[in-house]
Amino acid sequence: MGFLAPAFLLGALAVGLPLYLHLLRRSTSTPLPFSSLMLFEVRPPSATQRRRLRYWLLLALRLALLLLLALTFAEPYVSRLIVGSAGDKLLLVVVDNSYSMRAGQRLADAKSAALSVIGARNPRDRAQVLELDSQVHVLTQATQDPRILRAAVNGIETGDSRGSFAVLATAIRSIAASENAPLEVHLFSDLQKSNMPPSFTEMALPRKVSLVLHPAAKGAVPNWAVESVTVPPLVWDPHTTHVQAVIAGYGTPTATRVVSFIVNGKTLATRQVEVPASGRATAEIDSLELPYGFSRCSVRIDSGDSLSADDEYVFAIERSDRKRGLFVYQPSDARSALYFDAAVKSAAQAAVTLDKVTLDRASSVDPAAYSFIVISDVAVLPEAFANKVLDYVHRGGNVLVAVGTVAAQQRTLPIFGANIVTTRHYSRDTERFVAVGQTDSAYAPAGTPEEWEGVRFYYATAVDERGSRVGARLQDGTPLLLEKPVGEGRVMVFASGFDNLTNDLPLHPVFVALVERMVRHLAGNDTRSGPHQVDDIIALRSAKEQAVGVDVTEPSGKRPFSLQEAVSTQSFQVSHAGFYEVHLANGRQDLIGVNADRRESDLTPMADDVLALWRGSDNEKGTAAAAPVAASVSQVTAVPRSLWWYAMLCVLAAALAESVIGGRYLATLRDEP
Amino acid sequence: MSRFLDPAVLGALSGLDLVAKTVVEGFVAGLHRSADLGFSHEFAEYRAYTPGDDLRNVDWNVYARTDRTYVKRYRGETNSPVTMLLDASNSMNYASHSVTKMNYARFMAAAIFYLAVRKQRDAAGLLVFDDEVRNYINPSSRHGQLARLLAGLELAEPRARTNFEQPMRHLEGLLSRRGIVVILSDFYEPPNSLLRAIEPLRFRGNEVLLFQVLDPKELHPDLGGSTVLVDLETRARIEVTAEYAAKEYSERIAKHIAALRDATERAGMSYQLLVTDRPLDDALREYLTVREGRP
Repeated sequence: MGFLAPAFLLGALAVGLPLYLHLLRRSTSTPLPFSSLMLFEVRPPSATQRRRLRYWLLLALRLALLLLLALTFAEPYVSRLIVGSAGDKLLLVVVDNSYSMRAGQRLADAKSAALSVIGARNPRDRAQVLELDSQVHVLTQATQDPRILRAAVNGIETGDSRGSFAVLATAIRSIAASENAPLEVHLFSDLQKSNMPPSFTEMALPRKVSLVLHPAAKGAVPNWAVESVTVPPLVWDPHTTHVQAVIAGYGTPTATRVVSFIVNGKTLATRQVEVPASGRATAEIDSLELPYGFSRCSVRIDSGDSLSADDEYVFAIERSDRKRGLFVYQPSDARSALYFDAAVKSAAQAAVTLDKVTLDRASSVDPAAYSFIVISDVAVLPEAFANKVLDYVHRGGNVLVAVGTVAAQQRTLPIFGANIVTTRHYSRDTERFVAVGQTDSAYAPAGTPEEWEGVRFYYATAVDERGSRVGARLQDGTPLLLEKPVGEGRVMVFASGFDNLTNDLPLHPVFVALVERMVRHLAGNDTRSGPHQVDDIIALRSAKEQAVGVDVTEPSGKRPFSLQEAVSTQSFQVSHAGFYEVHLANGRQDLIGVNADRRESDLTPMADDVLALWRGSDNEKGTAAAAPVAASVSQVTAVPRSLWWYAMLCVLAAALAESVIGGRYLATLRDEP
Repeated sequence: MSRFLDPAVLGALSGLDLVAKTVVEGFVAGLHRSADLGFSHEFAEYRAYTPGDDLRNVDWNVYARTDRTYVKRYRGETNSPVTMLLDASNSMNYASHSVTKMNYARFMAAAIFYLAVRKQRDAAGLLVFDDEVRNYINPSSRHGQLARLLAGLELAEPRARTNFEQPMRHLEGLLSRRGIVVILSDFYEPPNSLLRAIEPLRFRGNEVLLFQVLDPKELHPDLGGSTVLVDLETRARIEVTAEYAAKEYSERIAKHIAALRDATERAGMSYQLLVTDRPLDDALREYLTVREGRP
């Protein structure tokens, strides 16, 4: 007899509770003074003895109930020995079709070996075909029909995902838990070292599973790959566009590689780089001739190795004109305009020019000419300008309002429409400042809390956050970055200033990144272009954009969504390398370049000792040559039989008996005067 | 008016004199409807005047009609000394509510003293005892006797254990006149040994009146579970269950009371059970009944 979850037996310690209640607590009752004990007997009468007997019975039942509960949760089982033939087992044929299996003839060899195993198996053995990449795909049910099994194996194609042995082990454990027969797993894979999880225990298999490995590659194979490309997703001046590509070698000697920069199928530039042995080299160009709109770009090398798929790295770039933004500020506050404008100019990807006007000249400006407006710490907007801005927002324009010490003098925030709750002068407190406490990672302009590290806020305006989305908060919970839709547009609020007085944000690098993200967000330059990896999740709609159709076109030209899915799907996992055309719910059209995880490019196999450990040290059968697939001798197998139901029935019986005895005892107590 | 005979109400009064007055006046007011009981100045008979009689008692109306002098006699004039024996052992200190048995006994004694001294002009005395005599005030009807008696009651504090034999022997030597002996106690003694101690008083011609003072919870304990009880006099401990206390103990104390009542009545004494949550009028009525029986 054993336990599947023996840790739950610790729950048996709970028996101390009824013991305490019945024995210890009862004996520590406070003595009661009484006038005379002359008429009391020293020895309790027989009724008391009966009561005590009932006490003991109740105690015993309660102890039994707790012990049985602990036993039930520990899931006891007994091993039942059954005599059967070798045919009473389940063969799991697992074929790795991760990206690295594209190298040479690996997948073809693996499929061939899998077909051999299926053909050589005992006809009475059931078998099941699984496909392994970042997930385990069950291609067939457990069957004895070899035609179904062969068809499934033949249908396996190369994929672009990364393999994961941890996922495989999890799936096998799950199948083993639901299958009484012993499992024999045949894994056809190149057994890449990079497919291992960080902890070997995640790959552990149950004792009833025997693992037979069929390596699809022998030894390490040198491989060069374009590891990464750094490029802005949005450019307005292609002559200043800087593209940097990293060329990596895995198990390679020192070699010179030719790197080609390709835009829309046309090679714009080539560079020769010397890649050190098993090292990395960088190739870069400083201008990229791009047409307006999206361009399909790639960086390619001439590797000549067995895995040619990773010799090319694809990415999309969008070229557009720079957008214009309006920055309105108090004449006395030139610092905010200076800092904000400097940040916009420093931001390579902002693609924005900023027009700065003081408040007294704002009335003559037409907001409709701008992609966005920033109102920096202004007390009262001129009425005419305020009406124009409000109309601009209602028509779909975006506005950022910075609320410093001047703007906080009003009771209501202009354009945003929320009340100013209070002002917080942290410089007057003991701590003198607060930092950013939390950010909403789903809100692009806010960034991560780590980026804000070191930024000190000496002042903030607490704005009524009802109806708003809060992107960042200070440590005391004051909303720092808020946004809410107004009409067709949206209004962002930065609850402090850009003046280097209410905070030291302009002195930190995060200021440029923050301004860039805010400006891109306001100008509608958010883009999903740029490099993505296979298995990344692409958000297709926001919470407000429900019931609007989206469209995705895969690199192969297929559209994965049905009409119904197109109006309901929230996100999409890219599963192939290449260019995805995405039509988002907000009406924007994106081109996304997707590449395979470059960890797959490292074709170094797992060490032999690790493989032996995975198979099990006493599992000498774990080689392809010794695979006992054709054995048919009788053998005795221990099959665990769970006693959970019996234990649960005992728990119910004990609970029922305890209720009856306890109920009678309580009834007796109630009857007493 | 009976509200004033409630022990809990009396417990809130500040002094025993006030308690006694409240009890007796309230009780007497209630008696006006009763034709059976009387006291002190109640008319009893006419007697021919003899020299030396107080002229204030001559009924001049009769003299005017008959030309004879008669003297009115009142029942109260046949006074009987009342001696109160108050048990001041520790067991009298028990209470399950606001009034202890000792306080209840004090109220009772004070009321009887008030009734005897003020209303009936009887001599009254007090003997406070536990296992020996703690205080003795000789029966007297002199001015100030009531105050002395009440002070004696105030000073009586429960202590030690009960032993009837020694106080009774002591009292036998002190009582020179026949009268009424009232014993206030919880009588946690076997009836036979109790009677052995008390009977000599009866043999000497005294009317003996036993008031057994018990708390309601002594009659019907409500322990709520298995409990360790501590004897207030002996400090002995015993663990009893609620079931035993509610059933068997209640039967035993009922038997004890019945045996005590039978034994005292057989011995020509009067017995009255006083429960401390009950008004005092039952006890006063019993006392007056006994008092009326006296010559």
